[in-house]
Amino acid sequence: MLKIDLSNLKTTGLLYSFVFAFFISSPALAQEDTTAVSQFDPEVVAAGEKLFKANCTQCHAIRTRLIGPPLENIQDRLERDYLIRWIRNSQQVIESGDDYAVSLYEEYNRTAMPAYPFTDEEVEGLLAYIEVESNKAPEAEVATTGEEGVADAGTSQLTSGYVTTILVVLVIILVLILIVLGLIVSVLTRYLKEKKDLDESELEVVRQRIDLGRFFRSDAVVGIVIFIFTAVVLKTLIDGAFTIGIQQGYQPTQPIAYSHALHAGEYQIDCNYCHTGVRKAKSANIPSANICMNCHSGIKNLAGKDGISPEIQKIYDAIDYNPETGEYGTNTKPIEWVRVHNLPDLSYFNHAQHVEVGGVECQTCHGPVEEMEVVYQYADLTMGWCINCHRDTDVNTKGNDYYNKLVELHARNSKEPMKVKDVGGLECSKCHY
Amino acid sequence: MTIYRMKYNSILAIAVAIILSSCTAGPDDTGVEFAPNMYHSVPYEPLSQITNEDAGRWVNSLDPVFSFDSIRRVDRSQPAEFYNSNPNNAFGMTMREPVPGTVKRGQYLPVRIAPDDFEAAARLLVNPTDSTEAVIKNGKLLYERFCLLCHGAEGNGDGPVSTKYFGIANLNGVAYQALNEGHIYQVITYGKGLMGAHGSQLDVEERWEIARYVKALQKQQQ
Ligand code: HEC
Ligand code: HEC
Ligand code: HEC
Ligand code: HEC
Ligand code: HEC
Ligand code: HEC
Ligand code: HEC
Repeated sequence: MLKIDLSNLKTTGLLYSFVFAFFISSPALAQEDTTAVSQFDPEVVAAGEKLFKANCTQCHAIRTRLIGPPLENIQDRLERDYLIRWIRNSQQVIESGDDYAVSLYEEYNRTAMPAYPFTDEEVEGLLAYIEVESNKAPEAEVATTGEEGVADAGTSQLTSGYVTTILVVLVIILVLILIVLGLIVSVLTRYLKEKKDLDESELEVVRQRIDLGRFFRSDAVVGIVIFIFTAVVLKTLIDGAFTIGIQQGYQPTQPIAYSHALHAGEYQIDCNYCHTGVRKAKSANIPSANICMNCHSGIKNLAGKDGISPEIQKIYDAIDYNPETGEYGTNTKPIEWVRVHNLPDLSYFNHAQHVEVGGVECQTCHGPVEEMEVVYQYADLTMGWCINCHRDTDVNTKGNDYYNKLVELHARNSKEPMKVKDVGGLECSKCHY
Repeated sequence: MTIYRMKYNSILAIAVAIILSSCTAGPDDTGVEFAPNMYHSVPYEPLSQITNEDAGRWVNSLDPVFSFDSIRRVDRSQPAEFYNSNPNNAFGMTMREPVPGTVKRGQYLPVRIAPDDFEAAARLLVNPTDSTEAVIKNGKLLYERFCLLCHGAEGNGDGPVSTKYFGIANLNGVAYQALNEGHIYQVITYGKGLMGAHGSQLDVEERWEIARYVKALQKQQQ
C-alpha cells in the first residue's frame, strides 16, 4: 500500500503537479495553476451558463435553496453518470426506487423536476458551469438599492418638513408683531394721557374705549351673522339631503386585508385575472379562494419572511389548506367579502356591455383602484351619472359589425359621431324593467 | 319676543342639518336610503347576502312600531324585508356550484383524461380553433391578462410576480419547446406541479387560443 507522509503532503503535491505540468505543458493546466479558476474551455462554460440560465435558474441557485436544492459542488456529491441520468429524466431515477433520489424528492415536497433532452456535450457544459460557479468566492452582499430608497424618502420628507417650519415661523412672527403693536399703542396712550396741553376732541380720542358689546349688537354685524348662519345651515341641509341614498365614499373594512395597491398596482396583476366575469357577464365577480391560491400556495408571507402572514392564513382557513403538507381538507367556509358597489334592485347594469363592447376602462367608473389599499366607491352611481356619460360618450363601433347599419343610418341625419344616447342609452326600459 | 323664536328656529335648523349630514356614507357606513323597499333585492342575488332575519323589520308596516293592534298578529317566524339568503344551502349561500356531472348548454362535453395524464392529453386533444391571425391576436390578449404576470411578455418566466413566486417555467426553455397544444391545454386547465389550475378563469376556447399563442410565441423567440 502506498503511504504518504502527511507532513510532506503539501510539498509533495506541489512537486507532483509541477512535474506533471512540466511534462504536458498544456496551456489549460498552466492557466489553472496561476488563476485557480477553471480547467474548462471558456466556450463550453459559456454554453453551459446559457443553458443554466434558460432552464434551471427558475428553481435552482448555486448557494441558496429555492424550489430545488442548491447545486454548489454537485459534482463532488454525486457521480457523473447519476447526475446525467438525473438531469435527463429525474422522475425515472425516482421511480427506479433509488433511496437517495426518493428521500430528496420527499424532502422537496414531491416537486417534480422537468426532464431535459440534453446531449452529452450540453450536460458537460452545464456541469462545467456549475463547477466554475461553485469555485468562485461568494459575492459580498451589497444593499445599495435599499439605502437609496431610504435617502429618497428622506429628502421628500425633509422638503415637507421645511414648509411646515417656515409656516410656523411666519405665524410666530405675526403674533410677535401684534404683541409689539399692542404694547406701542398702550405706551402711546399712557404718554398722551399725561400730556396736559390737549384740546377736547383730541382727549376724546385718547379716552376712547372700544365698546365690544355695542359693536356686536349693531345692525350690520347682526345682519351679516344671520346671513352667514342661514347660508351655512342651508348648504349643509341641501348637501345632506342630496347624499340620501348615495353611497359615494363607502369603504367597508374587509374580512381579509387584501390590497389592490399591492396586487393590481405593484405586481401589475390584470383586473381580468381575478374579476373573471367582467368581459363575459353582467357581474364582474369576486374571485374565489382557488384563484388566490394560484399564488398564495407559494407566497406565504410578505417580503419572503419566515412563517405565515395572519392575513394569508385566513385564506388557508377558509379552504382548509394545510401549508405544511400542502393538502386540502373538507372543512371549508366562505370568505365573506363586504359588497362595496350596489345598485338598487330597480336598475340593471351590465359589465360586459361597457367593458368588452363599449371599451370603457375600469378606472372611469371605479377610480384609481390600483392605488387603493381598501376599495371605496369612487363614483356616486346615481341615474344622472349614468345618463350624463351616455350623452357624452361615443359608441365604440370599430370592428363591431353589429353597428354597421346603425352608423350608416345615423350618418344620414347627423354629422356628429354616434353617441350612446343615439342607440337608446336614455330609454327608461334599457335600465329599468 | 322674537328672539326666543329665533333661538328655537336656529336650534331646529342646526339639528336638522346635523341629522341630514349624518345621512352621508362613510368608511363603514352606507348612509341612509330613502326607498329601502325598492332597493333590496327580493330574489336571490349572486353577490349579496343578508343572513340576519330581522334586518329591515322596521320597514314592514305590520310591525308593532307602527300599529298597536297587530302586536299579537305579527308573524315573527317569517324573515323580514331585507333577509336574502338560502337556508337550504351551507352558510345560507345564494351561489351554488353546478351539479356534478352536468354540462351547461352550449358547452363542450368533458374529456375524461386524468388531470395528471399529460401524455394522453398531448396525444388525444385537438385544438378546435383555427390558426388565423385573429385567433392568435386574441390568444395574445388573453396571454397578457392571464399568463404574463408569471411567465413574462416573452415567456421567459420573468413576469412581475416572479420576484415573489419561484419556479416559474421559462417557456422558451429546452424542456418546454417540444410541448404540443394538447399538453399546454391540459396544463392551463388542471395546472401542473407548481402552477395552479386556471380552468375556472378561462373558457375552453380561450384556453385553446392561449395554447395556440404560446406555440407562436415560442417560435418567435427562437
Ligand atoms: C421546476 C423546478 C426545477 C427545474 C426547472 C430544475 N430543477 Fe433540478 N431539482 C428540482 C427539485 C425540486 C429537486 C429536488 C428533487 C425533487 O424534488 O425532484 C431538484 C434536484 C436537482 C438535482 C439533484 C440535487 C441534489 O442535491 O442531489 C440536480 C443535480 C438538479 N436538480 C439539476 C438541475 C439542472 C441542471 C436543471 C436545469 C437544466 C434543473 N435541475 C432544473 C427542481 C427543478
Ligand atoms: C388578485 C386578485 C384581484 C385583482 C388582480 C383585482 N381585484 Fe378587484 N377585488 C378583488 C377582491 C378579492 C375583491 C373583494 C374585496 C374588496 O372589496 O377589497 C375585489 C373588489 C373589487 C371592487 C369592489 C367590489 C364591490 O364589492 O363593489 C372593485 C370595483 C374592484 N375590485 C376593481 C378592480 C380593478 C379595477 C382591478 C384592476 C385594476 C382589480 N379589481 C384587480 C380581487 C382582485
Ligand atoms: C398573481 C399572484 C397573486 C394572486 C392571484 C393573489 N395574490 Fe396576494 N399577494 C401576491 C404577492 C406577490 C404579494 C406580496 C408578497 C410580498 O410583497 O412579499 C401578495 C400579498 C398578499 C397579502 C399581504 C399579506 C400581508 O401580510 O399583508 C394578502 C392579504 C393577500 N396577498 C391576499 C390575497 C387574496 C385574498 C387573494 C385572492 C383574491 C390574493 N392575494 C391573490 C400575489 C398574489
Ligand atoms: C360604466 C361604468 C363601469 C365600468 C367601466 C366598470 N364598472 Fe364595475 N361596476 C359598475 C357599477 C355601476 C357596479 C355596481 C353593479 C351592481 O350593483 O349591480 C359595478 C360593480 C363592480 C364590482 C362588484 C361586483 C359586481 O359585479 O357587482 C366589481 C368587482 C367591479 N365592478 C369590477 C370592475 C372591473 C374589474 C372593471 C374593468 C374591467 C369594471 N368594474 C368596469 C360600473 C362600472
Ligand atoms: C363612462 C361612461 C358610462 C357610464 C358611467 C355608464 N355607461 Fe352605460 N354605456 C356606456 C357606453 C359607451 C355604452 C355603449 C356600449 C355599446 O353598446 O357599444 C353603454 C351602454 C349601456 C346600455 C346598453 C344600451 C343599449 O343601447 O343597448 C345600458 C343598459 C347601460 N349602458 C346602462 C348603464 C347604467 C345603468 C349605468 C349607471 C349605473 C351606466 N350605463 C353608466 C357608457 C357608460
Ligand atoms: C342609463 C340607465 C338609466 C336610464 C336610461 C334611466 N334610468 Fe332611472 N335610474 C337608473 C339608475 C342606475 C337608478 C338608481 C340611482 C340610485 O340608486 O341613486 C335610477 C333610479 C331611478 C328612479 C329613482 C328610484 C329611487 O327610488 O331611487 C326613478 C324614478 C327612475 N330611475 C326613473 C327613470 C325614468 C322615468 C327613466 C326614463 C325617462 C329612467 N329612469 C331612465 C338608471 C337609468
Ligand atoms: C401564478 C403564476 C403562473 C401563472 C399565472 C401561469 N403559470 Fe404557467 N407555470 C407556472 C409555474 C410555477 C410553472 C412550473 C411548474 C413546474 O414545473 O412545477 C409553470 C409551467 C408552465 C408550463 C410548462 C408545464 C410543463 O409541462 O412542465 C406551461 C406550458 C405553462 N406554465 C403555461 C401557462 C399558461 C398558458 C398560462 C396562462 C393561462 C400560465 N402558464 C399561467 C406559473 C404560472
